Amino acid sequence: MQLDLDRMRDKIKASQWALADIDWDAPGRELVTNDPDLYPKLKAFMADLMWIEHVGARGFAAMAKKTPNDTLREIYTYFHAEEQRHANAEMALMQRWGMLDGEGLPEPNINIRLVVEWLDAYADDMPLSVLGSVIPMLEIALDGALCKFLLETVKDPVCHAAFEKINADEARHLGVDFHVLEMLGHSPVYRQTLQMAGKLIDPRLLIGILAYLPLLNRMRDNLVELGLKEERLYEAIRKYRRVGGTPGGLRNPWFQLISRHGGWMVNRRNRLYHVPVDALVRLTGRIPPRLLPQVPSWVHELTWKPTA
Amino acid sequence: MRCPTSGILSRQREREQKNPMNPTMTTSPQARRNARPQDPSVLHTYETLIVGAGFAGLGSAIRLRQAGIRDIVILERGHAVGGTWRDNQYPGAACDIPSNLYSYSFAQNPDWSRAYSGSREILSYVEGLVRQYELAPLIRFGQDVIELSFDKASRRWLAKTAAGQTYGARTVVMAQGPLSNASFPDMPGIGSYQGHKIHSARWDHGYDFAGKRVAVIGTGASAIQIIPELVKQAGFVKVFQRTPGWVLPRPDYGTPNWMRALFRRAPAAQAALRQALYAAHESMATGLIWRTPASRMLEQVASLHLRSQVPDTWMRRQLTPDYRIGCKRVLVSNDYYPALRQPNAKLITWPIATLSPRGIRTVEGVEHQADCIVFATGFDVSKTGTPFPIHGLGGRLLSEDWQRGAQAYRSVSVAGYPNLFFTFGPNSGPGHNSALVYMESQIDYIVQGVRLVIEQDLKWLDVQEGAQQRYNAAIQRRLAGTNWNSGCKSWYLTEDGFNGSMYPGFATQYRLQMHRLPQGDYSLVR
Ligand SMILES: Cc1cc2nc3c(=O)[nH]c(=O)nc-3n(C[C@H](O)[C@H](O)[C@H](O)COP(=O)(O)OP(=O)(O)OC[C@H]3O[C@@H](n4cnc5c(N)ncnc54)[C@H](O)[C@@H]3O)c2cc1C
Ligand SMILES: [Fe+2]
Ligand SMILES: [Fe+2]
Repeated sequence: MQLDLDRMRDKIKASQWALADIDWDAPGRELVTNDPDLYPKLKAFMADLMWIEHVGARGFAAMAKKTPNDTLREIYTYFHAEEQRHANAEMALMQRWGMLDGEGLPEPNINIRLVVEWLDAYADDMPLSVLGSVIPMLEIALDGALCKFLLETVKDPVCHAAFEKINADEARHLGVDFHVLEMLGHSPVYRQTLQMAGKLIDPRLLIGILAYLPLLNRMRDNLVELGLKEERLYEAIRKYRRVGGTPGGLRNPWFQLISRHGGWMVNRRNRLYHVPVDALVRLTGRIPPRLLPQVPSWVHELTWKPTA
Repeated sequence: MRCPTSGILSRQREREQKNPMNPTMTTSPQARRNARPQDPSVLHTYETLIVGAGFAGLGSAIRLRQAGIRDIVILERGHAVGGTWRDNQYPGAACDIPSNLYSYSFAQNPDWSRAYSGSREILSYVEGLVRQYELAPLIRFGQDVIELSFDKASRRWLAKTAAGQTYGARTVVMAQGPLSNASFPDMPGIGSYQGHKIHSARWDHGYDFAGKRVAVIGTGASAIQIIPELVKQAGFVKVFQRTPGWVLPRPDYGTPNWMRALFRRAPAAQAALRQALYAAHESMATGLIWRTPASRMLEQVASLHLRSQVPDTWMRRQLTPDYRIGCKRVLVSNDYYPALRQPNAKLITWPIATLSPRGIRTVEGVEHQADCIVFATGFDVSKTGTPFPIHGLGGRLLSEDWQRGAQAYRSVSVAGYPNLFFTFGPNSGPGHNSALVYMESQIDYIVQGVRLVIEQDLKWLDVQEGAQQRYNAAIQRRLAGTNWNSGCKSWYLTEDGFNGSMYPGFATQYRLQMHRLPQGDYSLVR
């Protein structure tokens, strides 16, 4: 996938929107709040979704520090902020639906907390090749499965208005993500493989993987709870493989690893994968929150308020 | 107001009285001002015309007169002298090179109140120069030069001003300032903002910040001086940062009385301090201009400075540059970081999407409402064009010659533009030392050029094309290895990354090259 990065950057700059562009008090709230069946599940789902956006934002912040290309750095700086905007907008929806207790942030689940901790400690040390290969997977899963599903389930027009804007941003994110995935595959395969082998025994990355896997399984459980067909996730993973499977992408061992992992994750019959990872979910569930350090200060930048 | 230059005033006056070249005017200035000749054929032809009455213009006039050039006119578009220091009167404005070095060596001031004096004190120093050297009669205020052309037939330059006047002169000194044009930046939505707008270089002293929500755009040299002051005055201050700078601690102190007394009595002591400061700044060049172990050391000093003042890791990350030290102007401040941590201040690093009627919308989707926006966004620096059209020999136009980046010979002369001399010309910028050190050596070089033209009654003095090319090839070769050209975007570079601003070397090297005007590289046309 070839992309003119300069034009993309200009397009991104020309396509900005703000929370204030949406009327958060427009009618339609009761389409969610009057549905006692949907409400608690949607609350959990929205909290996950909003946290994933926020975590993605931090990932882009790390990428911005990594890329040697000025234009790409600027694009990632924007994506960092845009993912934050998505998290903010999703919080604004939660606020509209009375899902925020007081003014505070929705409580992150323990797996989110672990990923946040990991990102804060190590994301800036990860090479572009790791981040640049994981992020498209997260993005395509969000864009291809979660958001579409949400829109089918929730009828509130304000939710649709917000996601129309969010999805337009995501289309640009995906364009850049897969462009970079392709570029990353352009150095010699043996060198990439060696570098990956070296990285895979880096404890910092291993901890990251240990934080990331249970989060995905927990997300999947929450989704199924809400009524998402797992087939939708399959589709998203297949799309990652299809879109990312360019000549460059295929040469990128991280892409190979991640798309293979995606296959394991959506296949519940793969006991070799799911038994230990589900055990991890349970295990992490037992970590007493007081053992975790304070959330890093970047988390407190989240807000549902359109003006400050 | 206390006049900080009284000491030098008296000393200088004594010297001038002994000086046989004590300037006396050939015509009364009043008579000349009233004449205002418009017909070029009856135009008075000055020996030298100087554009701008800032440090450079006034310094040139002083040195030219000391060298016997008497018929000088200074055209100044403003209504007061001082340039930079007349315009930059924002709260906290000060120099970031110690005053003892940021002043003329030929007019030392024993009375600087601080190591880094404030804008007003620097301005009084400049005003002191005007009084001491009796420059006032030379200056024509309200004369904005809009065009310069060399008239080959009458072998003189003609300067047109916005007021519709024309001045003629044998030689011209360009001293219009590298950072004298400021305007609000071309940001999306800027026209829609309905609050109060202030540019750092055109401060609005009538605006009361008490209790106001203030946004500051920019985190460069001016911003980091303004912000601590605003945080003291305003209700809440939001600082919008695009790129952080490296910030070094500022060894500021109030000058003790004994020191002033000493300097007044023993100017040699002050000269020694100046030398020491000069040497200290020269040694910084090794780290700031090139990538050396010293750069790493300076970066560590800056990082420690940050670490000691900002405990939060994320905020430190936001404030840590991802380019080499020296690539952009290095900042010095002790109170910038602490100011950002005040309860009524906040650093915002989200990119700005647009200005809106009530504030600033950043890309994370939030509208940051503000009663007032302070633009500390720097200056309109023309790296390719010229501030106004300059026509040289054979109808050439300087902005065309400079289309792909400004070029000159030793930063002062440009081939095809005879008898024209630049202060702060191409590749004369210091990254580590006082601009006035560079300026002094430019001025002394220019004095040699002007004297050649006037004393030998040359038609013109024009640098040879080949000499200029050789000089620039060497400069650009040397620039390639510097931190400025190491990949960060800065106002030193053109869009294509051409560096026509900075001098790649020590101030001492620069002074050496400016010591003597090499006549062999010029055409002297009689
Ligand atoms: C806030 C600030 C702080 C600085 N601090 C330092 C420092 O600490 N150390 C350092 O070395 N340098 C510093 N500088 C750089 C500073 O610009 C120079 O040191 C020096 O003051 C420049 O003097 P100048 O005479 O060349 O230009 P200016 O002081 O800008 O004077 C130029 C004059 O020309 C006039 N003019 C411009 N165009 C025209 C025209 N077309 N017609 C007629 N008149 C015109 C202007 O009105 C102005 O009066 C600082 C600059 C700024 C803006
Ligand atoms: Fe997103
Ligand atoms: Fe995204």
